[in-house]
This record gives sequence, C-alpha cells and structure tokens, in this order.
Amino acid sequence: MEMSPHQPYITTKLDEFANWARTSAIWPMTMGLACCAIEMMSIVSPRYDTSRFGAEVFRSSPRQSDLMIVSGRVSNKMAPILRQLFDQMPDPKWVISMGACASSGGIFDNYAVLPGVDRILPVDVYVPGCPPSPDAVIFAIMQLRKQIEAGGKAMVLAKNA
Amino acid sequence: MPEQPPVGAERTRTAALLDSLRAALGDDLLEAVSAADMDEAAIVPSALLHAVDVLRSAGFNMLADIGVVDHHPLSPRFEVAYHIQAIDAAAKPVVPVRFRLRVFPDDAEPVVPSLVSVWPNSNWAEREAFDLFGIRFDGHLNLKRILMPDDWVGYPLRKDYPLRGTDRDFVAGGRQGTVPPVNP
Amino acid sequence: MSTLDLSKLESSPDLLISQGDDKDSLVISMGPQHPSTHGVLRVMLKLDGETVITSESEIGYLHTGIEKQAENLFWQQAVTVVDRADYLAPLSNSLCYVLAVEKLLGIDAQIPVRAQVLRVIFTELTRIASHLVQLGTHAMDLGAQSIFMYAFEMREQILRIMEFVTGARMHQSWFRVGGLALDVPVGFIALLDKFIESFPERLSDMRAILEKNVIIMDRLIGVGRISAADAIAWGLTGPNLRGSGVAYDVRKALPNSGYENYDFDICVHDGGDCYSRFVVRLNEMYQAWRIIKQGRDRFPGGPVVIDDPKIVPPAKTVIQHSMEALIHHFKLVSSGFNVPEGRIYQSVESPRGELGMYVVSAGGNKPWRVRWRPPSFYNLQALGALAPGNLIADLVAIIGSLDPVFGEVDR
Repeated sequence: MEMSPHQPYITTKLDEFANWARTSAIWPMTMGLACCAIEMMSIVSPRYDTSRFGAEVFRSSPRQSDLMIVSGRVSNKMAPILRQLFDQMPDPKWVISMGACASSGGIFDNYAVLPGVDRILPVDVYVPGCPPSPDAVIFAIMQLRKQIEAGGKAMVLAKNA
Repeated sequence: MPEQPPVGAERTRTAALLDSLRAALGDDLLEAVSAADMDEAAIVPSALLHAVDVLRSAGFNMLADIGVVDHHPLSPRFEVAYHIQAIDAAAKPVVPVRFRLRVFPDDAEPVVPSLVSVWPNSNWAEREAFDLFGIRFDGHLNLKRILMPDDWVGYPLRKDYPLRGTDRDFVAGGRQGTVPPVNP
Repeated sequence: MSTLDLSKLESSPDLLISQGDDKDSLVISMGPQHPSTHGVLRVMLKLDGETVITSESEIGYLHTGIEKQAENLFWQQAVTVVDRADYLAPLSNSLCYVLAVEKLLGIDAQIPVRAQVLRVIFTELTRIASHLVQLGTHAMDLGAQSIFMYAFEMREQILRIMEFVTGARMHQSWFRVGGLALDVPVGFIALLDKFIESFPERLSDMRAILEKNVIIMDRLIGVGRISAADAIAWGLTGPNLRGSGVAYDVRKALPNSGYENYDFDICVHDGGDCYSRFVVRLNEMYQAWRIIKQGRDRFPGGPVVIDDPKIVPPAKTVIQHSMEALIHHFKLVSSGFNVPEGRIYQSVESPRGELGMYVVSAGGNKPWRVRWRPPSFYNLQALGALAPGNLIADLVAIIGSLDPVFGEVDR
C-alpha cells in the first residue's frame, strides 16, 4: 500500500485493500457447542473485550459471519450440521478449532466424538487447552489476523480474476 | 461395605412399603434389600406396573431416574433401576423418601413395561435406555433413538460394545477422512 | 399425590408433531445452532400464528459418551470426565461422584473437616458462577445486553479464585476421592475475603436493575407456568421446582459434606412461572454467599486428604525418602485402587437441581457403571409441557429459565 505524499489518494492492490479491511472486522458466528462456548462468550465480556480487535460482532446467522469458532467436542450427530453451517458461510471464511476436543477429540477417545474437527472442516488455527482461556482465543484471533494480512486463502479476488 | 446407617423415619416408612409390596406381588418380588443408601426391591418385569401402583398409592410421586446397568457377562445381564421418591409438596423443607425398584429383563430380548402412562418424564429416560442399551419398553409410543443419530448401529453403553465404537471413522453423511472441498 | 391430566400428556411430548397435516399450522425448526437455545438444542415447533401448539425437543447433538468413558478409567481418573458433564458447575459433578465413591469405599466418615469446608465453599462459588451465566444469557435472550456484561464480570472474580487455587478456570478436577487434590495456596483467604466483601453490593446492584424491571416482569410473569404437582410429575428439581413452591433442596433434605451445619434458607417462590424461577436464582446467589461466608469464618486447619496410602498417593516429600511410599504411589498411578462391590445412589444439589449418580462397582479398579441423573435432562423434558399455549417469542424465555446445560443433558 503506497500513500502519495501530496495527493489525497493511495495506490494498492484490490486484494490487499480487501484483506486490510477484513483483518479488523472478523465476525464470528454464535455457535456454542460445549464447555469452550462459555469461554468463547467470555471473550466479549469486559475483562477481555475482543471489540478492541473488531471481532466482537457475533452473528447468529452463518450467512453473515466470517469465522467459525468450533467451541467444544463435535459429536457424530453434530458433524454433518457443522459442515452444513460451514458451507452456508460466505467466502472467504476461517475456522478456529477451540480446545482439545475440537482439535483432536481430547480426553474423549470414544464412539461418540469426532477425533478432531479437521476431519470435516479446513481448520486455520488450533487452540490448545481444556478449555482454553479467553486470552488464548484472542491470541488465536490475532494469529488469524496475521494469516489474513498475508493473503493466503483470502486472495479470492485474484483467484477469480 | 459401609455400615448400615441408623434407621430413621424414612426407613420405617419404606420398611412398611416393602411389606405391602411383598403382599401385593407375591412370587414376583424376587428380593427385598435394605441397601446402604435406600431400600430396594428386585422384581420381575411383568410386575413393574403393579409395583408402581403400590408405590404411588404410598405417596411416591416422582420418578427420579431410570438407570440401566449391563452386568455382562453375568446373567441376568440387564438391570433397569428405577429411582422413585416421595415428595410432599407442602412440607418445608421437603425430605424425600427414596426407593429403588430393580427390574431384570430377559438377556436376549430385554423388554420392560413402559411407565409413560404413569410418569410423563419416563419418556426420555426410556428412550435413552433404548438408545444406549437396546432395552425395549412395551407401551412407549415413540421409542426411537434420542442421543445417537437415528441411523446408528448398535447400543454403545453395552459392555460388549467397544469404547471406540465399531466404526471409528463413521461420520454421518459419509464425510470422512480427507476434508471435503470448501466450494463443492 | 399428583393428579396428572393424561389427555394433556398425549398432546405434549414429542409424539405428535409429524402426525396429521393440518394446513393452518406452520412447522419450524429452531436450532441446533441458535443463540437462544443455550447450546445445541433443536426444537421442532408447530405454530398457529405466533402461538406454539406443540414443541418437540431433539437432543443428543453433544452426546460425548462420558458414561462409557468413565467406565474405562480408574476410579480416581474418572473425576476428570465427570467434571465435563455439567460444564457450568463442574465441581458439583465431581462432588457427587467422589461422595458416591467414598461411600462405597466406606471412608466417607473420615474425610477431614478442612476438605469438607473447602468443598462446600467451592461448590457454592460454582453455584454463584453458574447462576450468573444463566442470568446473563437469560437477560440477553430478553434483549438486555448489559446484564450479560455485568454477570460475566462478576463471574470472572470467581474464576480468578478458582484459577488461583486449582490452576484451572473451568474444569478444576479438584475434588478427589479421599479429599482434595491440593491444599489452598497462601493468599487464598485474602482473595476470598475480597470476594465476600464485594459480592453483596454487586448482587444488590444486579437485583436493583432486574427484579422490578418492567421489561423483565412483562416478559417473564405468567410465562411458562407449571403447577407444583405437574412439576413433581415431570421430575423437575432445583430452582425450577422451587419456583413452583416446593421447598425441596438436597442440601437441606439429605445433607452431605456438613451442609447441615450451615445456616441458609431454601429459596421458594410460588408463581411457578419464569419470573419465579428467575427470582429463586437471584435469591439463591445470596444464600450461597452466606454459606461461603460461614465456611470462611470457620475455616479449620489440618489436612485436606485422608491418611490412607491405599487410596491417596503419599506426598512427594515422603516418596523421596520412603520405599514403601514409592510403591504405594506406583501402585496408585499404574493400577488405581479397588472399590468393594456395591451400588449406591448419591445426590447433591447442583445449580440445576438434584444431580444424582447411580454408581455400581463390580469390585475392580474401574467403575462398572456411572449413571447420571442429569437434572437438566428432566428439566428440559418439561419444555414439551411448558411451551404449548405460549407465544414463540416467549419460548426463548422458557428455555432460558429452565437453564439446561447440554453437556449434562446429552452427556
């Protein structure tokens, strides 16, 4: 991004401009699964306050959100629904796998729980912990911002051009 | 085993109840035990509704829980334990009197009469017992899986069902292994 | 004795929604991803205009196999998965489990007083934290965002104590068979005192905002009404039953951990509607604070675990010098301890009601069966009886006032 010293305009690539805008407005989806959902709710509470990073606007509809935080264990019954919700989100979209259960099944190595949500969704950031503290989730969002800034799968405009 | 607690007022009430159960059920009452936590009676499945009638007329008005235990490989294999309590709504504070009915259905075809007509909250509890143990409840109008997906095969909480399931990679909808494409 | 209307039963619980195809009604599906279902609940609703005719709940989206998992862990290890069932009140879960196992082992009379007092203090802290989450999310369902912020900030203070003492914010696994995992660190009392001092004022702030709030009263009074007899027949417990005027509290009725030595009241409200349940929870937070205060005042010294190397591993300092202690430690870590054959039904008062566990031991080093009596499971089941006749907008108020936690409903 280049700013002209004496002119009221900047020159940049459209993708970079779009990604710059996306970085500071990641809207997560309101989708609580299990224990981690409570800590996910805590990130908007006054002590953690993700609105500092533009990520406090939890949208209830997948059609309006950029980020899916898989907050908790994913059962075999929930898995197809999760995938459907993900498919309903508009591009570009990101997934944070929050906690041990979502990342690997955690301590629940049994018939009911999916051994890692990355079997059905492309995960961008994994957060360890059971449950991860809200700071860890905010850290994950910061990591995601770096990914978005660097381009990655958000280069939709260039790809489709 | 821990020592028996002193017999309090609740225990004398259930002791009288055991006598009336004995009189009402006769040979259908297999065993009456004063266990450490509460009094209990083991009965044959066909006598369940009769026993519940006796309990209800003695004031036992809340079905606390239906728990199933799989004693595999022992026989009788299944134990359906009904925890029933008497709650006197007017008392302050309410001290519940508890009683446990244990029912031992058949090993191969476990069938127990349903209590939905007596206690509405047995609806989900019986569906769960069916879902996880394969116990059938005779008279239940909507006996289908409740916790597992509808197309699940097997009864997960049975002792001969492996902890990790029979098909570890099962994901409903056939999506498994690799991540499906983002824009199908 | 309850007099249950059987004709009502036939039309209420998840039986008839797919039957009949009358053209005037609309069937909609709410959830499993919905901000107001407090988790992964799916409700199929049959509507006449905006009035709910039938509501059918579909659960199981969070089924985790906790009961099966517990059967495959040693008795002491199972505390970790037991915690994760009711994730808003993990310590109530582990309290129930360790009490049951201690009774099976016959060591329930030996638990040190300090451990019992700390158990009571922390269970009550959990109760306040859980009710705060319920209050915050319930108010948010009704449209009040700020209450959520207040409630979560208050909860953070409790979580700070939890983290300081146990190292974990939510799943502490701090109660163990035979006592506690560790004693409290230096500085705990100062932190607890700060909480005890500041909490009543903040609670009364909250009460001032909410209790006589016109919007809250309009949205909650008369909504989701259930009579005492019906509540008993549906197996409601906890604040949901006490909201219908039945003074049943396991802490008073069948006290454990020395609850009989504390002075507190059972909070009862007669309305039987959402507002009654809401008021009961508000009052219960104050009573829980009273119990914590009494626990802090008596706070005895002494050990926090029983002195039995067959059950509790010896202290690290002892292991370094004693061969025998090392063997005990090795045995406990590698194969756990055996529990005599038996069965027991243990109940505690969790924030959601009577949490029961039917624990069966076959004599081995792993539980043969740990059966929950999940209070939310039975509370939520009554939604089929509560919802019909109410407006669809009130459904979220009813679900919120029943306070289901899906980790516990689905286990």
